[in-house]
Amino acid sequence: MNEGLVVFVRAVIGFFSLLIFARILGKEQISQLTFFDYVLGITIGSIAATLTTDLTSRAWSHWVGLITWTALGFLMEYMCMKWRYFAKYIEGEPTIIIMNGKILENALRKMEFRVSDVMILLRSKDVFDISEVDFAIIEPNGQLSVLKKPEYETVKAKDLNIKNPASGISTEIIYDGILIEENLRQLKKDKKWLMDQLKKKGIHSVSEVFLATLNKGGTLYIDKYEDHIQKPLDIGDYKGPF
Amino acid sequence: MRKFLVRTIPIAALALFIVVMLSNSFLKGPITKNDDVKKSIEKVIENINEDQWEEADKNTDHLSKVWKKVSHRVQFSAEKDEIEDFTTNIARLRGAIHTKDKPNAIMELYEAYEHWMDIGK
Repeated sequence: MNEGLVVFVRAVIGFFSLLIFARILGKEQISQLTFFDYVLGITIGSIAATLTTDLTSRAWSHWVGLITWTALGFLMEYMCMKWRYFAKYIEGEPTIIIMNGKILENALRKMEFRVSDVMILLRSKDVFDISEVDFAIIEPNGQLSVLKKPEYETVKAKDLNIKNPASGISTEIIYDGILIEENLRQLKKDKKWLMDQLKKKGIHSVSEVFLATLNKGGTLYIDKYEDHIQKPLDIGDYKGPF
Repeated sequence: MRKFLVRTIPIAALALFIVVMLSNSFLKGPITKNDDVKKSIEKVIENINEDQWEEADKNTDHLSKVWKKVSHRVQFSAEKDEIEDFTTNIARLRGAIHTKDKPNAIMELYEAYEHWMDIGK
């Protein structure tokens, strides 16, 4: 038995099976995962690892375990999507822990949260004074959502009756010295317009540009290969090997 | 094209993986004339039962060659222990034949037969 070769083949099977199953299970980010999703991910990963290196049992039995866990995970996801009652049962629901500025001790106890945990979560939301909070809700994924009292809310352009032009999403039109004509056409501009804009910045060729983006508001961002920066600012706080 | 990438490739990949993992059912053989492990074991058992030790020795060599060939084919779908145990059985069988130890030779052969049946199960 060529163990190296067998492990290699099993690794290929485990890796791509995991990739496909992870895609089937959805695109939730780590931050959106509930505790169960997190454990499910770890278990599936662990089974894939065992499939690769545990040669004392057949790959097939591990693979059946892998696909069963994935199928059950998918089934749960599907049922949660189709049946709200079930979703609440499986994933839990948001719990209000601060209401009208008052801490709800019973809710905290039920969630097994200490006040110090709430303070940590508040600080991570840039709230350093609990008196600023009107409502705080613990989401099913353990994150805290905060609604500040109106007097502590950030002033927005709308509050000041200022009209800002919509900037939209910027689109790359030059990347690595290459013009992306399709994006330029999408923004209803042509090469001549771009070259005029580049000339205004003293650039004579697209190949001088590392990145150029344009948003719907018409703002053009250009970064050349030549930055004319002799020494970049050192932001390290301690001497290191780099 | 998108459908091909999103559906066909993953399905084809998973199907290929399943075939590789269950390949023992058709790779255990016999595929050619010279790779029938079951028959080779039965031949050695027959030789030993009839006290044909020289013939048994020759057929054990043949069994060993056949096993080497087949073990390479089934290694992706079999348990490592089953493969190693079978190899050990052949080594012990050689010793038993060398000393003309009939009970031990038969025991090793029947154990090897059991391992053969269990491979990929």
